[in-house]
Amino acid sequence: MTKILLRDKLDDCLTRWHAAGFDVVGPVRKNNISQYATVKKAGELDLGIILPDRTLKDLFFPQTEPMFSYRISKQKIDTEEYLPPGRQRIIFGARACDASAMAIDDPLFGWDYQDTYWFKRRNETVIVTIACTAADEFCMCTSLKLAPDSTQGSDILLRPLGDNRGWQVEELTDRGREAFSRIEALLEESPAQTAALADVPIKFDLDLCREWLQNPENFESHFWKEISMRCIGCGTCTFLCPTCHCFDFQDEGDTYTGIRRKNWDSCSFALFTMHTSGRNPRSTQSARWRQRIMHKFNYFPGKFNLNSCSGCGRCTRECPVDMGIIETLQEITKLSQ
Amino acid sequence: MTDNTQNGRQNIYKPAIMKIVAKRDEAPGVKTLRLEFQNPADHEQFKQRYRTGMFGLYGIYGEGESTFCVASPETRNEYIECTFRQSGRVTAALASAEIGDLVTYRGPYGNRFPIEDFYGKNLLFIAGGIALPPTRSVIWSCLDQRDKFGKITIVYGARTVADLVYKHELEEWQNRSDIELVLTVDPGGESPDWQHRIGFVPSILEQAAPSAENCIAVLCGPPIMIKFTLISLGKLGFNEENVYTTLENRMKCGVGKCGRCNVGSVYICKEGPVFTAAEVSRMPAGDL
Amino acid sequence: MSIQEQYRKKAAELLSSGEVKLVIGYGSGSTPDRRRALFARTADDAALFHVDAACDANLSGYLVNEGLLSDKKKIGIFLKPEGIRSVNILAAESQLDPDQIVILGFTEENGTVSGLQGTQASDFTSLMTALKENRTTSEKEQALVDKIEAMTPQERFAFWQAEFEKCIKCYACRQVCPMCYCKRCIVDNNQPQWVHTSSHTLGNFEWNLVRAFHLSGRCVECGGCDRACPVNIPLRLINRRMANEVLDAFDHFSGMNQNQEPVLASFKKDDPETFIL
Repeated sequence: MTKILLRDKLDDCLTRWHAAGFDVVGPVRKNNISQYATVKKAGELDLGIILPDRTLKDLFFPQTEPMFSYRISKQKIDTEEYLPPGRQRIIFGARACDASAMAIDDPLFGWDYQDTYWFKRRNETVIVTIACTAADEFCMCTSLKLAPDSTQGSDILLRPLGDNRGWQVEELTDRGREAFSRIEALLEESPAQTAALADVPIKFDLDLCREWLQNPENFESHFWKEISMRCIGCGTCTFLCPTCHCFDFQDEGDTYTGIRRKNWDSCSFALFTMHTSGRNPRSTQSARWRQRIMHKFNYFPGKFNLNSCSGCGRCTRECPVDMGIIETLQEITKLSQ
Repeated sequence: MTDNTQNGRQNIYKPAIMKIVAKRDEAPGVKTLRLEFQNPADHEQFKQRYRTGMFGLYGIYGEGESTFCVASPETRNEYIECTFRQSGRVTAALASAEIGDLVTYRGPYGNRFPIEDFYGKNLLFIAGGIALPPTRSVIWSCLDQRDKFGKITIVYGARTVADLVYKHELEEWQNRSDIELVLTVDPGGESPDWQHRIGFVPSILEQAAPSAENCIAVLCGPPIMIKFTLISLGKLGFNEENVYTTLENRMKCGVGKCGRCNVGSVYICKEGPVFTAAEVSRMPAGDL
Repeated sequence: MSIQEQYRKKAAELLSSGEVKLVIGYGSGSTPDRRRALFARTADDAALFHVDAACDANLSGYLVNEGLLSDKKKIGIFLKPEGIRSVNILAAESQLDPDQIVILGFTEENGTVSGLQGTQASDFTSLMTALKENRTTSEKEQALVDKIEAMTPQERFAFWQAEFEKCIKCYACRQVCPMCYCKRCIVDNNQPQWVHTSSHTLGNFEWNLVRAFHLSGRCVECGGCDRACPVNIPLRLINRRMANEVLDAFDHFSGMNQNQEPVLASFKKDDPETFIL
């Protein structure tokens, strides 16, 4: 006997959570795009999709975020910090890849120095993940040694029931337990069977790839030029990547008053590393693509013992020129065999 | 997190405010600002943390932040001096700021020169052009405790006589008997009254031929100069482990998050900017 | 022989004879319905080319990749009529020498592809005239155009505001566009900062409107930006509207030939306006 949450109780759950002061966020399709957004009613949730077009990082690390405002006078500079609003939220219906990605970025944002903006939101959010029963040809969580029901980064894992009436509840963290204690009365004990998880075939050999990437001889391999020849240098793969975390600061305003913002930035852009002098350590698109792959599968694991990729596949799914991590790591796997 | 890892700040991206108390023209387009903390707590944090070699992010609200070394030594931590060439949006704003104006500062970040490891050794400083500032903070750190070191040699070159920075200090060093100063300018860069060497730093270094024995070299300059000077140092018998340099890359956060300064797996902002030549030679050359 | 077989053979000949150093075409993609750019350097590579209805990308943007044409050698490229128009504009704007480009032209209608006669951009002038005189819009697209045209200015503003709100400033629209070849885009300039780089309402409006203006009279409506946009902003509608305006006002159909003057960057003495932007 395990606890289950029935789909038709979802509206009541939302009511209770709202009453307890939680915002509820989940996958929503609006304006021809699906993304995690705040909902009032369960009916707004779009839970039937493979995964939203946009990632969960939007909710922790938005594409543009005002950090503080400034006001300059002759004798002083006044600043006002814009910290995240401080509302408790429940993300209902995250995907395991997206939730894992948040756990992957935690050590980065907390590496010696804590990024206030990231951790304030992380601490205010309960992530309720629904395990996947369907995948498409771009899904690759299993290749990253994760799974459709990975628990990393999640506070609650819901496993869909075979009859699609609801989900089996697995409480993973105290934060998750606390949020679900608010809907305790709505949960049922049931022996219901869970549905089969999505079958996600393994697409490349991660260990072989890591080994190849670690070999200094391969840094200058012609492979990088060949594989990235059609890359156009846009930021799609990085901006739609749940773990890509690079950013820029931009001041907007004048000499007296304005705002300093933290904006997404991308290692795909030529300008990203360009010195003011015009010198650019990563002056070609192949060097930039190499950086992206090396960072995700060699440097990041070297620092944090985690791959900076959770296998959502959006990079390949959305790439305007049909590139992506899958193809690159498949080719590297071939080279290593 | 404790203060210890947050650099004393709740919000790591929020800068301290500093006042410009002195401003000096060093060379065409190159200026030095001397800055003082406005908030005593910020100053206290700085004094506790700053060690020679670290860098900071200097800025003007409305324009942004720019990364330079702290050009003043840890032995003189009542203020911060930074020297920069006006080349982009932020440096243009800093260059036009006046004495009494307020600027922003984040730092000190990065690693340091292990100066106590240099005790009892001879020191060779080699710098090119605008790269004297990072070298200078090490030079003063050592000169302020002169008796702890052996022979000190400084080789400094610039494109032209006008491009030499810290001219007043060069004069001071020239007049000290406990320093050997070798100055040079590139061929064609000399003025009619130039009394020093003419030639590129690597060849002038080879002429000066300081002994590699029991000697630490500190080398800062543009990439091309570093490349050839390392060859010259090799000829003189210097071991790469005894040659220190600093690397510079574009930075935004300074604390290992924004993703742009790494060379291979090495984050310049956290593991650098100070490296031995041996460490640099282990980095992928194609990323430098 | 199918057009695909013909063009594979032709590309192989071009490569093996040494007439071209490279042929840019379409290869298999990561799924059966996807085609991706394929850069063939040998006759063997040419056997991997596809020519079918799935070949939708305008590949001409690759021609202006840094240094690709600087050795004066020729390059073969698979192009649809829009791509040929792009080559004409790139030639008119001195970005390439059209004599270096060997075109393997094809066109697609209702899922069927057919070859185009000619190999040089200048061989296609009658096709361009026909295209100009017979501008078509799909029914689905026309329905959306009609809907937007029927809106009040306030409604239209709200419509585009909602669309631009989705923009994440990934610049896929710019990067995929053959006309966006500037080494330093206006948005990358920070002295002064003409366009906000932040992806907020203002920054997104500025970016998308500036781009629409920069493409007025230059866009060939290949739809590349629209397909590239990862957040599904209907960018083709903006560019099509601008193309219509330019056609109405100046009788200018972009990319007609390689001598065509850029409509918004040239001035005629009898112009009724006393200034140009």
